[in-house]
Amino acid sequence: MDRDLLRQSLNCHGSSLLSLLRSEQQDNPHFRSLLGSAAEPTRGPPPQQPLQGRKEKRVDNIEIQKFISKKADLLFALSWKSDAPATSEINEDSEDHYAVMPPLEQFMEIPSMDRRELFFRDIERGDIVIGRISSIREFGFFMVLICLGSGIMRDIAHLEITALCPLRDVPSHSNHGDPLSYYQTGDIIRAGIKDIDRYHEKLAVSLYSSSLPPHLSGIKLGVISSEELPLYYRRSVELNSNSLESYENIMQSSLGFVNPGVVEFLLEKLGIDESNPPSLMRGLQSKNFSEDDFASALRKKQSASWALKCVKIGVDYFKVGRHVDAMNEYNKALEIDKQNVEALVARGALYATKGSLNKAIEDFELALENCPTHRNARKYLCQTLVERGGQLEEEEKFLNAESYYKKALTLDETFKDAEDALQKLHKYMQKSLELREKQAEKEEKQKTKKIETSAEKLRKLLKEEKRLKKKRRKSTSSSSSVSSADESVSSSSSSSSSGHKRHKKHKRNRSESSRSSRRHSSRASSSQIDQNRKDECYPVPANTSASFLNHKQEVEKLLGKQDRLQYEKTQIKEKDRCPLSSSSLEIPDDFGVYSYLFKKLTIKQPQAGPSGGIPEEGIVIIDDSSIHITDPEDLQVGQDMEVEDSGIDDPDHG
Amino acid sequence: MRHFLLVEGTNEKWDGVKLGMRSIPIATACTIYHKFFCETNLDAYDPYLIAMSSIYLAGKVEEQHLRTRDIINVSNRYFNPSGEPLELDSRFWELRDSIVQCELLMLRVLRFQVSFQHPHKYLLHYLVSLKNWLNRHSWQRTPVAVTAWALLRDSYHGGLCLRFQAQHIAVAVLYLALQVYGVEVPAEVEAEKPWWQVFSDDLTKPIIDNIVSDLIQIYTMDTEIP
Repeated sequence: MDRDLLRQSLNCHGSSLLSLLRSEQQDNPHFRSLLGSAAEPTRGPPPQQPLQGRKEKRVDNIEIQKFISKKADLLFALSWKSDAPATSEINEDSEDHYAVMPPLEQFMEIPSMDRRELFFRDIERGDIVIGRISSIREFGFFMVLICLGSGIMRDIAHLEITALCPLRDVPSHSNHGDPLSYYQTGDIIRAGIKDIDRYHEKLAVSLYSSSLPPHLSGIKLGVISSEELPLYYRRSVELNSNSLESYENIMQSSLGFVNPGVVEFLLEKLGIDESNPPSLMRGLQSKNFSEDDFASALRKKQSASWALKCVKIGVDYFKVGRHVDAMNEYNKALEIDKQNVEALVARGALYATKGSLNKAIEDFELALENCPTHRNARKYLCQTLVERGGQLEEEEKFLNAESYYKKALTLDETFKDAEDALQKLHKYMQKSLELREKQAEKEEKQKTKKIETSAEKLRKLLKEEKRLKKKRRKSTSSSSSVSSADESVSSSSSSSSSGHKRHKKHKRNRSESSRSSRRHSSRASSSQIDQNRKDECYPVPANTSASFLNHKQEVEKLLGKQDRLQYEKTQIKEKDRCPLSSSSLEIPDDFGVYSYLFKKLTIKQPQAGPSGGIPEEGIVIIDDSSIHITDPEDLQVGQDMEVEDSGIDDPDHG
Repeated sequence: MRHFLLVEGTNEKWDGVKLGMRSIPIATACTIYHKFFCETNLDAYDPYLIAMSSIYLAGKVEEQHLRTRDIINVSNRYFNPSGEPLELDSRFWELRDSIVQCELLMLRVLRFQVSFQHPHKYLLHYLVSLKNWLNRHSWQRTPVAVTAWALLRDSYHGGLCLRFQAQHIAVAVLYLALQVYGVEVPAEVEAEKPWWQVFSDDLTKPIIDNIVSDLIQIYTMDTEIP
């Protein structure tokens, strides 16, 4: 409750209002305390004079007082004041917005003395005043005020109010000389009030915008032309010359009055909010309105139920196979209510049946967005996603397909079909990746083939021969030890493999090498084993987390087989090994993934003694393609090949 | 009779607000409504239908077009507060047709004079003029504008708009608002002309008193309606 307001009202109406208030508002807790204290000021000095004046109004005053007392809880509520702040006086004096009128006091013909008194009571610092320079002194200039530029728009032209603008408040217009020389008597000046002495009726003004409040600081101070005088003043001058004009006439003849937007403009200017319209009727208090009663809410509900009807009809059509009609109904429903979940689900199902899976997925997703708990939507969406994934698989877009399956799984973890499909896909992807690798290897070999010229090959071969001869001498003695060492080393390495990337790479290498060596063998059986092995032990692409977990087992299997393979190896294979190792060395390292592997291995694998003659064993792996360039001389190195094979397994050789 | 009229007026105001109608269209709707029942027999027509049609018509006149569906929904809600919105079935479309028919009937009864001068514009201008004359602090702490606007809106529950001139109503409403808060217009006594006379030349004190008393009457009726 606004106490001051209440007090003001009580002061005006007297004690009768107080008693009325007491009786009407006795139930209102806000008033009980107020009425207790508010009683005192009225009791104080019983104002004799005002009462006399009011006696005339006594009769209807009672009615008004009754009204006040009945509505007091609304009228004096703190929330009653306008919530929307009145647009702070940005003086849009423009003719067009509303009818700008001459000051009221001019019409009322209030005596100058009162106007003057009221002016000095109401003027505030920061108000803009406009006046004419009357005299210029060394310490500043004097101006006679003619009108106001902001705040209260009063008629003061004839009041002969002067204001002083001291020198320090005059900005200089040139670098040297007296700033006052810029001004002349008779200039119209716009200035801001800086100081007020209300008692002595003295004003000090300034030409600096710092004297103005922030919302007015854009207004230019200083000399202005007569066109820039405010509209109300000009109207006021007109009125003076033609004092018979009435307020109403002036208003109605003003262009701004007939502006269609005048009501809205003025409402904003006065701070009245139309969106929450005020009323003193009990039934119309806005707190009694529930959101559900409003037209837009009702419309929505209605549209939703209308749309549902259409969907039902559409589903019936669908069941008898009239797909076109069904689609029409669904579309109609969606036009009525764009977010209708049932319609979207039904339409999605229709799309899916017809085969436009992408559209179906869109619809289902939209439906789920609006209603995440819709069981059917979820179910259908999963199914459609899996189907789409299947389609993509057939089109060989595996990653895409995978993402669809995963999406289906995230939506519904128990969806068996999606799981199965995903796993199948992964296997297939493995296979295809391996295939691709083989392809790449083949290509590389072909490339290596191209790079080498026959002359170089010859030279290499000759070198190799020499090395192999040396090795032969060493290897024959130590072959058995090497092979045993291999096993121990490899087993130890496998046991320590679990966290070790390096060893994994090595093993991968090993598996690759074993594979590639086997690949080119003439043995069909081994190739079969190879294939199986590939399925099991080729590491799954990086995005599946399981790859490294399986690795250890794979490698152990691999090692077991490796041992067997040593005995299986043919001369041809061994033959192949030899030039392979040497030739691969000189090949420039530009084969993408595999060269990456190369590098890794060459760094990490130190050379062990026995196979020292063949330094870069680690690189041996891939270039099986160059096996085909064997020459008869290699046949000699049969035994040595064994060593080399085992050297492959040896982590030291890499 | 007048009591009944008031009910409908209330109904309309209620509907108007829920439809998001601005003050002026609501005022037009109420004026049309009251005027219609001045010209015709009260029992001849269903007041609720007339109310809906007058809202619809007023929306067109004042350029705040409303859809019939919304009008029907809101009115229906008024009668069945807990019910579901009406189904869009044949009965609904019949209702809509009747509104449109009724609109034409009303236009003919009112001789196609459905454009009115409302007090609102006048009131706003008066408020601006008064604001400049009053002390600004006094103005800021006293919700004169809001109260006056509320009083004006509520006046449409009765037939004030038909009996008095727009300017007079505006002044009277402002007068009452000032009275409620005990605000005095500065130098009122010393003035040659009272402020309310300035705003409207042919206005006299008795007229103001009449309007004020009628307005207060409207509020008392409000409390009597269940």
